[in-house]
Amino acid sequence: MSEFYPGSAAARGLALCHACGRVDAIEQEYCPRCGARLHLRNPASLQRTLALTLSALLLYFPANLLPILKVESITGTQTNTIVGGVIQFWQTKDYPVAIIIFTASVMIPVLKIIALLWLCLAARLGRHPFGMTRLYRITEVVGRWSMVDIFVVAILVAVVQLGSVISIHVGHAALSFASVVILTMLAAISFDPRLIWDAAAEKQSPDLTPNETR
Amino acid sequence: MRVVRPSGSSKHIACPDCDALYLAPALREGEQVICVQCHASLFNYHRNSLQRAAALTVAAAFLFVAANCFPFMTLRAGFRESQMILSQSTFGLEHQGSPYLGLAVGLFTLVAPTLIIGGLIYLLFGLLAGRRLPGAILLCRWVYRARRWNMLEVFLLGALVSLLKLGKLATLTLGISFWAFVGLIICLTAALSSIDYRELWARLEAIDRE
Repeated sequence: MSEFYPGSAAARGLALCHACGRVDAIEQEYCPRCGARLHLRNPASLQRTLALTLSALLLYFPANLLPILKVESITGTQTNTIVGGVIQFWQTKDYPVAIIIFTASVMIPVLKIIALLWLCLAARLGRHPFGMTRLYRITEVVGRWSMVDIFVVAILVAVVQLGSVISIHVGHAALSFASVVILTMLAAISFDPRLIWDAAAEKQSPDLTPNETR
Repeated sequence: MRVVRPSGSSKHIACPDCDALYLAPALREGEQVICVQCHASLFNYHRNSLQRAAALTVAAAFLFVAANCFPFMTLRAGFRESQMILSQSTFGLEHQGSPYLGLAVGLFTLVAPTLIIGGLIYLLFGLLAGRRLPGAILLCRWVYRARRWNMLEVFLLGALVSLLKLGKLATLTLGISFWAFVGLIICLTAALSSIDYRELWARLEAIDRE
């Protein structure tokens, strides 16, 4: 019994080239069209995804506990953490901005880390492959939007060069937070959703379409 | 189950999300192939997809240059005024002692878009002119890889948020470059979504064989 589900390209010894999308026999080792290395499944997918996700989880703490921005103005010095910035916007009744920052900087990273861990589990358990594949696609698309807070910092630092009036410094949280976003993006790239389908076939999930209907 | 091992051919397509194997269907204008098992969108078919993408990429290239040449935002506080050019969001961080953060911002807003726009112009116009293109296959792989690291639209959201954040401390005005930037995002997104990668790769392969 092969580890790949019947009806999959891999079960027939065919690999989808991750770089150019050509389907070719795995014996070739390298894609005859673009020269990329052929794999039936992403190599060490779960290990890489887990390692990257756990690193992101570790860095999430300094990202939220340390200040991301230090603003010095005539009215005094003000340091902001990510959540502090959200609260400040909420208090000044800038509800849309508060919601945007909260969604991008707090909600999405947390949900993304949970989703990635859940996906790794799903690749073992093989339950609900259809829903899990959809979760994977959402995770991949949404992750980049977390970067918004880093860009805000970058723009503020660049635009405020009024030395004596206001000056802005980057806090230590910024680098940690950028790392969280980059690591979770890399984790999503390493994850192979096809593993969920392989596991699902072993559990005989109803989500699998019989090969004859294709 | 009988294991069939057809030698690889462009007749087969496989779903990247669930590995379902199909025979490539013949498509008509505007049709889309969706995986019946996991509902992933596999590819679209548009006639002249490469011409369309080439036109949009040229527009994006001009707007990218404009977005980087003119002031993006101007800040006024009292008698003092400071202008910000797009690339300063990268180099400003470096001057402030955050070189790694600057590097990341530079990769997402300068390097990735340059690679995508430059790469697509070389590939698409080379193909449309029927030229042999040295390095085309490697470049095409890099352009494809750079897509997800291109974060111009996220940067735009960041610009809007900082506009609101600074609006209380000083007067901020948007420069020409800001509007070029908005246009750039529209053109580049349209260009990337109109490319039919199957056709692009098939034509690169055909040229490579000659």
